[in-house]
Amino acid sequence: MNPRIEDLCEKVLRDLTKMGASDASVLVVRSRERVVRFSDNKVTVAKTLSTTSLDVYLCKDAKMVTSSTSDLTSEGIERFVKNLVHSCDALQPSPDYTPLPKGPFIYPSHNNFDRRLAEDGSLLIDLVKQALDLVPKNKLRLAGIMKSQTVESQILTTGDVNTKDKRTNISLSVRAIGEEGGSGHDVSCACWLDGFDHLGATKNASDLALKSSNPRAWEEGVYDVVFSPIVAADFIQQVGYAASAFEVDAGISFLSEKLNEKVATESLTLRDFGFIKDGMASRTFDDEGLPTRENIIIEKGVLKGYLHNSTTARKFGTSSTANAGVVEPRPWNLVVEGGGYDEEELLKEVKRGILVTSNWYTRFQNPRTGEYSTLPRDAAFLVVNGRVEHPIRGLRLSGSILEQMRRIAAIGKERRWVSWWEVTTPVLTPTVLVKDVLVTKPY
Amino acid sequence: MNPDLALYAVKTADGQGASFSEARIHELNETTVLLKNGEPQPAQLISSKGIGIRVYHRGGLAFAATNEATYEGIRNTVEEATRIAASSGTVVNSGVGLSFEKSVEASWRAEEKENIEDVGLEEPTKILKELDGILKDEFDGLMFTHRLLTLSLTLEEKFYVNSEGSKVQSRVPRVSFSSYLTTNVEGVPITITIPPGYSQLGESGGWEVVKRLKLHEYVLEEAKRLAYVLKMRRASPRGVLDVILGPNVVGLVAHESVGHPSEADRILGREAAQGGESYLKPKDIGLKIGSEEAYVSDDPTIPHSMGFYLYDDEGVAARKRRLVERGVVSSFLHDRQTAFKFKIESNGASRSSSFDREPIVRMANTFVEPGDHTLEELIEGVSYGIYIKSFMEWNIDDRRLNQRYVGLEAYLIENGEVKHPIREPIVELDTFTLWKNLDARAKDIEFNAATCGKGEPMQPIAVWTGGPSIRLRAIKVEAR
Repeated sequence: MNPRIEDLCEKVLRDLTKMGASDASVLVVRSRERVVRFSDNKVTVAKTLSTTSLDVYLCKDAKMVTSSTSDLTSEGIERFVKNLVHSCDALQPSPDYTPLPKGPFIYPSHNNFDRRLAEDGSLLIDLVKQALDLVPKNKLRLAGIMKSQTVESQILTTGDVNTKDKRTNISLSVRAIGEEGGSGHDVSCACWLDGFDHLGATKNASDLALKSSNPRAWEEGVYDVVFSPIVAADFIQQVGYAASAFEVDAGISFLSEKLNEKVATESLTLRDFGFIKDGMASRTFDDEGLPTRENIIIEKGVLKGYLHNSTTARKFGTSSTANAGVVEPRPWNLVVEGGGYDEEELLKEVKRGILVTSNWYTRFQNPRTGEYSTLPRDAAFLVVNGRVEHPIRGLRLSGSILEQMRRIAAIGKERRWVSWWEVTTPVLTPTVLVKDVLVTKPY
Repeated sequence: MNPDLALYAVKTADGQGASFSEARIHELNETTVLLKNGEPQPAQLISSKGIGIRVYHRGGLAFAATNEATYEGIRNTVEEATRIAASSGTVVNSGVGLSFEKSVEASWRAEEKENIEDVGLEEPTKILKELDGILKDEFDGLMFTHRLLTLSLTLEEKFYVNSEGSKVQSRVPRVSFSSYLTTNVEGVPITITIPPGYSQLGESGGWEVVKRLKLHEYVLEEAKRLAYVLKMRRASPRGVLDVILGPNVVGLVAHESVGHPSEADRILGREAAQGGESYLKPKDIGLKIGSEEAYVSDDPTIPHSMGFYLYDDEGVAARKRRLVERGVVSSFLHDRQTAFKFKIESNGASRSSSFDREPIVRMANTFVEPGDHTLEELIEGVSYGIYIKSFMEWNIDDRRLNQRYVGLEAYLIENGEVKHPIREPIVELDTFTLWKNLDARAKDIEFNAATCGKGEPMQPIAVWTGGPSIRLRAIKVEAR
């Protein structure tokens, strides 16, 4: 961390306190993101995005404001602080005001920081070239994105918090598109170079593209659906958002009024980890300075808890789970407990079903009850009596996420990290089999 | 940020041998006021300011961004951009280039009668409190027990310069409102949004926008009508029926099934791993996709629109684009990269959402052109069908063919008359079926504000979607 920035943090906190802040936090995040995008088997653009931002939370007389700036010149910060205090004075006090957590705290000493990812500026181009060289260019078009990120952050609060964190991550989302209507998608996500498998993901996407070519006719109806980890991750992400106590309090969560109730089959256990190896959003502190931790959301099918910051925790009569967002708590890294089925055993459970390998565009008719539809994309297959029969395409799944969780019939053993364009909260999940899902096609 | 830094960036790239370079100082200031169940949540003041630099060098394209506003910071960023352009161009020749466009010097701004920077937080908070006061009333025995209201004020300012001599300065303020409301109908909790379809009520302009939108009247009327619909609705008919779609739905249909597939970068496969590809191929100008009533355009120059601009983020003059005329594909949306591949000129569709995002092809305000009929005439022509005025759930596949819209405010039509509200009718149909079965357009064009997502890293961008009421013949209607 640039010492000048550290000094600035301390000065901002001092100034805010002098100006009457009852609570304040100052968070500096320095990020360097490297990106290589490719399509049609060629690199289309390389990017380096270097940003440093200063995020401040200020509370005076129960009036609350959060603010962020990327103008880190001395004059810019002085203007920023004055404007912040002036803006705060114009607000009305909120009954939701809750003091920031009082430290000092003890933080986890580990981190997800791989120096090779932070320092090697040519790494991504080399890895993308290896991936592009892997596939037969006359048969498949590859498109995708490889990116790596190095984040250093520091937080200071009026609650005696002063701590730092640093982390790295790397990910690939790759799609292979064939000539005969087939396409495949896969991802690889890691925080350490050793856990990153760009060639495996590329090979898998390519295999799926070839296997899904020449899709055949299929009938609309109710099917048992095998959600590959990429698809399962999207649904788990929706459950993670719905577990935010802010969403519950706002009345827009399908997990509202369900605490300690059975919301899923016994086979589902879901946790959120503030820190976990290869969890791309791992961090040692939340935005209020609390040490992050492991939280259970669903245990053996029972909703055990929501995700809280200090404000929602006070409102719900509990303690923070260290998931702040000052305004809204959010999941960090969602982890589904592995089940007892290997891939083959899980498929054997399917009498008449569909295997979906990727999806996008999950949208809710009624967020409060979880009624949704989503579009499988890329390879999908009809499964009959435990055997993959043939590829299909043009399908849509619909139902209610709550009902779907109660119809989970099997959970796989092997888990994978998923994070890509559609799944923005990292999820570690196995394959999941859900009974009786409505599958339709367009008119 | 000092404009000289942008000029310095281009000069530095030139000195390093870049064949083309551009720099964009891009500043976004956003104030968001949030009220949850009547209680103020922390107000949010977000300011993002920095410089995005794009270079072509040794066969490669690179984009680099920084918010370090010093000559040293800029020089380092340009050096990084030229280095990664050269390495990507060497490793895999990407064959990228830019169309020829004449250079311009321009300064433009959206109309702004009451300066948005003078507003502060007091007035927006007061307005949200008033709106919450309206919404917490009882509507025919139905209460919105949970209310999440948002009012956002945004100011976007840019200074663009490129190595061909273009210099463009701009300023666009925007104001928008959105809300989530939850009620309970016969024991079933229901969350809706006002405006429906997770959209916003918004325009470009200064604080005068709040008065122009007549927010209080709009929210009251919409809440009353939606409460009535939720309370009174009966089961939706199923089967192959005539369907009238209102402007709220039509705007989305235009955006999703014509706007996105007309983006030339998507047609060329550049977004294949993210937002997907398109049912349109490069040779598909002239392809018939709909009836003679199908007219879809995109126009960034509509005053007060959320997607308003006069020059795009490559310094190309904005213009109206007719995407579909008489059912035939008439043009695509281009930036200079895609125009180069098509060997034509750009039609000014390049936009970036912030300083650290690469400019790419984007829609601005996409809409179905209005027709000559009244809504009543459309309804009179239906003996048995449905009228979907607004929606909640929607989605479309990654080639933009398989789409679904689920009604929120919807009614039965019998013998040319609108009857009782119906519960969440579903139309799930193919793009070509949709546009080929369009037989009439009304005059009642309206626009909704929305945030369009595209690109990776993600670039949320302000747009309008719009159109008049339209009538589709013989569409399959389902219900949950």
